[in-house]
Amino acid sequence: MKTLMKPLLLCMMTVLMLSGCALPGLSGSSENTVKIGTVTTSETQTIGYIQKYMIEHYTDLNAEVITNLGSSVVMNKANINGDIDISAVRYTGTDISGALGLDLIKDPKEALEIVQREFKKQFNQKWYDSYGFANTYAVAVRGEEAKSKNLNKISDLKPYAPKYKFGVDNSWINREGVGYEPFTKTFGFKFDSVFPMQIGLVYTALANKKMDAVLAYSTDARLKLYNLKLLDDDKHFFPPYDASPVIGYDLLKKHPELDKVLQKLVGKIDSDTVLDLNYQADVESKEPSTIAKEFVEKHNYFENE
Amino acid sequence: MDILTKLMNYYSQNAAYVWAEIYRHFLMSAYGVLFAAIIGIPIGILIAKYSRLSPWVMSLVNVIQTIPALAMLAVLMLVMGLGTNTLVLSLFLYSLLPIVKNTYTGITEVDRTLLEAGHAMGMTRMQVLKMVELPLSLSVIMAGLRTALVIAIGIATIGTFIGAGGLGDIIVRGTNISNGTAIILAGAIPTALMAVLADFLMGWLERALSPANHKHLR
Repeated sequence: MKTLMKPLLLCMMTVLMLSGCALPGLSGSSENTVKIGTVTTSETQTIGYIQKYMIEHYTDLNAEVITNLGSSVVMNKANINGDIDISAVRYTGTDISGALGLDLIKDPKEALEIVQREFKKQFNQKWYDSYGFANTYAVAVRGEEAKSKNLNKISDLKPYAPKYKFGVDNSWINREGVGYEPFTKTFGFKFDSVFPMQIGLVYTALANKKMDAVLAYSTDARLKLYNLKLLDDDKHFFPPYDASPVIGYDLLKKHPELDKVLQKLVGKIDSDTVLDLNYQADVESKEPSTIAKEFVEKHNYFENE
Repeated sequence: MDILTKLMNYYSQNAAYVWAEIYRHFLMSAYGVLFAAIIGIPIGILIAKYSRLSPWVMSLVNVIQTIPALAMLAVLMLVMGLGTNTLVLSLFLYSLLPIVKNTYTGITEVDRTLLEAGHAMGMTRMQVLKMVELPLSLSVIMAGLRTALVIAIGIATIGTFIGAGGLGDIIVRGTNISNGTAIILAGAIPTALMAVLADFLMGWLERALSPANHKHLR
């Protein structure tokens, strides 16, 4: 018994050590697995899973969704390094200032052209046309307060701002060109205090009157749930954030069938649809993977398009 | 009450997903501890034999333990990229301290008279190690593995930030949405249960392997 144990153990050890690249049970072989990266928001995760099911429906490849990447910058690095193969959702405005380090473009069309050209040139990646929705930053206040104080556009906040607590996304506050500093310069007022927090917390904070105004995402279903009002961006301060998937050309060359699959989704998810998806995820507490499955089945995997 | 129904609702809606994450979470923790055992136990034996090495090795594994988990993941991520392997490596590093330390303690605590008795019977050093020291220290080594596994299950939750998946995914999603308390619990409860269960089972194994119970086992 003892003589048998030793070689057996040694074998097990070496097998485990050698298989270090893909531990059994944790991930499939990387050859046939497409890794889709998403950040923490429900909308990127849902769309990531939609892509997963689409890819698995139309091709022989497996797809794995890697959720909760820190930010779009992390996602871009991961995409370049090959840690992920597809970025589920990228926003034009974010990557023009983040990944490309360019000045902001206010025109949505021009912005899309620039990211498509520059991502091809700099990173050898294909930036698709938009899904059909944009997720821009927008300043939100409580609905009843907007009514009583007659707040419609951001400039209307000026007289109230010195007493307002402003809750913002962690990654926004120091962002070059669209962060808090330029914001104060453009609109000519400052808030009493600014609280950076995880984006998911701002809506509740506002509804519970912990905050008086927050920087929200325009597609978030909780705006509707809590009856929050989006203020018009009267100075066109926030750049366009149209949503598209991004994939490397190397992978497209190896698996050309992926291009067709991703192309199928272009223009298929408009702002109402994404709001509905977000509502299911954020308010009804459904898992993004469940929502995505229902979505692709409802649309029959976009077979007829 | 509302949270409880929401929680039940969540589990019934997403049962397959939750099971997959539980399995993945446990597997990642177990791999980390397994690799640490493969490396750590021989190291523990080695430093018990060559006691001049022990302060160096001990302070090294102690230092590893003091690095905050998030910082460790961030640094490892720069080298190894995203994914489960990075998490398994960091769990491996965190598991080293309890395993090395307990192995070292277990071996050095063995009664010297027994060792001398072994030598007097004409045993080689390997034989003494295999037949006297290891059996007598087995339960202490098991206690180290037990601690390591419980720690690993806890730390594995932050693997979600480097795309490793696991129950942390569910918890972080709960923090990202409003009224996510039920979802946070949906991820936290299995994590806690897993840690308690692992502790219980390893504790049972530890008692079963203790020298006092050896006769019953045979």
